[in-house]
Order: sequence, then structure tokens, then C-alpha cells
Amino acid sequence: MRRLGAVITSALVIGIGLLTVAGLVVGGDLGWLSAIVEAFRIRDISGIFLQLAAITAATTILIGILNLLAVHLRRVGRREKGWAYSLLLVISALGVIILAVLERAGVLAGEPPLTTILFESVQVSIESALAGLVLFALVYGAYRLMRRGVTWPKLLFVLALLVMLLAALPLPGPGLLASVRDWLMAVPVSAGARGILLGIALATVVTGVRVLIGLDRSYRE
Amino acid sequence: MNAEQIGLWAGFVFTLMIFSYILGDNVLYRLAVYVFAGLAAGYITLVTVEGVLLPWLRGTLLSPDAVGVGGQILGIVPFVLGLLLLLKGSPRLGPLGNIAIAFIVAVGTAVALVGAITGTLLPLAAATGSGVRIDLVNGFLIFIGISSTLVYFQYLARRQPGGEVRRGLVVRAIGALGQGVVVVTLGAIYAGAILTSLTIFSERIGFILARITGG
Repeated sequence: MRRLGAVITSALVIGIGLLTVAGLVVGGDLGWLSAIVEAFRIRDISGIFLQLAAITAATTILIGILNLLAVHLRRVGRREKGWAYSLLLVISALGVIILAVLERAGVLAGEPPLTTILFESVQVSIESALAGLVLFALVYGAYRLMRRGVTWPKLLFVLALLVMLLAALPLPGPGLLASVRDWLMAVPVSAGARGILLGIALATVVTGVRVLIGLDRSYRE
Repeated sequence: MNAEQIGLWAGFVFTLMIFSYILGDNVLYRLAVYVFAGLAAGYITLVTVEGVLLPWLRGTLLSPDAVGVGGQILGIVPFVLGLLLLLKGSPRLGPLGNIAIAFIVAVGTAVALVGAITGTLLPLAAATGSGVRIDLVNGFLIFIGISSTLVYFQYLARRQPGGEVRRGLVVRAIGALGQGVVVVTLGAIYAGAILTSLTIFSERIGFILARITGG
């Protein structure tokens, strides 16, 4: 029975995956391939698959949030360590949802809406403050880098880092550092970024093909 | 004091609470982070329900124009798949969850595959080719940089007579060049992250000062 289930799962992945690829890739100028796609309305089927996957992903997000609330409510119920924080989390989450429901029902009126004020003033403020806090972690990380032995890649890293940072300063003079920074960005950094992106894309293609031809079946575990 | 002003003062207090982390982990920081997590969960719920799930339900299950029973059944499918995923936690019914996983993996793989080819591989290859035509020296250097980066990330090696596994001398030399290119790239990205967070940090300091001075 377990083996049959595994075969069905693999057949589903291969079938649905290939149909979706065909619907996304095959255009109107590929001869008999286009004719097959047109005849079996594979493009429409592929579109439905994409919609279903997006809605399923949205459903899983909702399930995840319900799970988050359930976990924290359990912590509050059992008076576990840090339960007050959990209570605050649940109140914040439910507060936003209740405010939105009241606004949509027309009970709470006002321009701008309260949920918008809450989002722009509190949520964005906390997000920005957390992003600002990253500065200290980054600077401390760069400072600690050279303390665990000096190697040529570390030296190169720090050199590139310093050039980029110093070139950002509004220093007087002919702007030699700015020229070096511009060249670094245009040539080695551009090449490195493209190389990394191409490597990721190649690995995605290889893994994708392995999944679609049934060589990689890790999703059955 | 209206709701907007209260919101601004709340933002000021929460910013200070987050920045208190500079002195070390403390109650104020944790309070702010839990409020942040709760608000984020609430907003994600709203966006998911209002932006994705309700339009889907209105277009399928609740729509009078839904194409027969098939259209309405289609409306239930994502929710059934979501419930099947929940079964993954059960030792007995867990394998049923594999059907939902299979569907998501299949569509996700197809989208990733097509996206990687049409969105990354082909445009980057074309841009690199045209770069050589526009500026021969720098274009060629970029080509060398990209090739050496890709060589650096390959792990094929030959087993030596002594049993040791090593890459060839040429591959190692090109790989070392690639490592240099990657390191410079990461250094530049790191510097970019520092500058970005510095900008955000100074904006927050400006916000705090404006609140204090009433500007």
C-alpha cells in the first residue's frame, strides 16, 4: 500500500510538473508541439494548476498563523515562562484582525483607517528600527572577521568593503576612490553577482529536471 | 491628540524599545518584538484572506457564474490540499499529505525551472555577450569573472593514486580566481548592507529627534 502511494505521488509530480512546464513554455510557433498544447488546452490546465498552487500556499500561510496563535495561547494557558509576551502577541494579532473587521463592517469610521495608522506608525517603525539595529551586527561582524586569522580571501573582502565604504564618504579631491569603486561595481562585482546567479539558476534547472523525470523523490519522505 | 498623533508617539516609543537592544537583551526589546510578530501575523492574515482567499471563493464556490459543479469543486480543492498537509503530522494518515506536497512540488518545480531559464540564464547570458560587444576589455574581464566563479563552485575532482581526492591544477587556479571574484562581490554587498542599515538608522535617529524637539 505504501509502495502504491509512493508511485501515485511520483506520477502526480511528473504529470502535473510536465503539464505546467508545457503550458508555460510552449508558444504558438513550435509546430506539432504547439498543436498538441492547443488541442488539449494545456495552457488553460497549467493556468488552473498555478492558481490552485497559489491558493494552497495562501491556505498554508493561514494554517501557519493559526498554529502560531494556538502555540502562544497554550503557553498563556499553562503559564509557561514568557507567557506575558505570548499574550501580547495574541492580543496584537487579534487586535489588528478585529479592527479590520470593524472597519469593513462600517462600525469604525475615520480617515485614514485605524489599521493603516497602526501599520504605518507602529509596524513600519518597529521594522525600520530592527533594520537600523542590523548596522551594529554588521559592523561588529566585520570587526571580528580578522581576529580569527588572516587569509587572503579575508584581506580581499575587507579591502573591497573599505573601498566601498570610504568611496561613499563625501571627501574632497579628484575622487580616485570613487573611480575604483565604480570599476569594482562594473566589473568584478557584476561578474561575481552574475556568476552566483547563473550558478543558482543552473542548480535550479538540474534539480528541477531531476524532480520532473522522477530521479529526485525526496518529497515522498 | 488624534489617532495619527497617537500612532506617531507609539512609533517613537517602540523605536526606543527596539534600540534598547544596543545595551543588551532586555524586557523592553522583547515586548516590542512580540508586538511586532503579532501585528505582522495579523496583517498577513488580512492580506491573505482579503487579497487571495476571498476573491478565489467569490470566483468559484460563491459565484453564481461558476461553471457547474466542476467549478465549485475546483474552489474546494486548495482547502482540501491544505487540510491534507495538516495530516503530515499524523503517523497513520501522514502519507495522504504527500499528495498535497506532490502537487505543490510539481507546480513549484515547473515554475522555478521555467523562471530560472527565461528569467536568469537567457537574460544574463545575453547581457554578458552584448557587454563584450560594447566594451571589449571590461566585457572580456566580466566573462572571465563569471566563468571562474562557476568553476569555483564545481566540486568534481579526480582520485589520486594515493587515494587523495583533488581537483586539477588548472581548475584550482581558475577556481582561486573565481574565489577572489566572489569574495570581492560579497565584500561589496556587505558594504551595501552596512550603508543601507546606516541610512535607516540615521532616519530613525532623525525621527526620534523630531519627536523630542516637536519638529
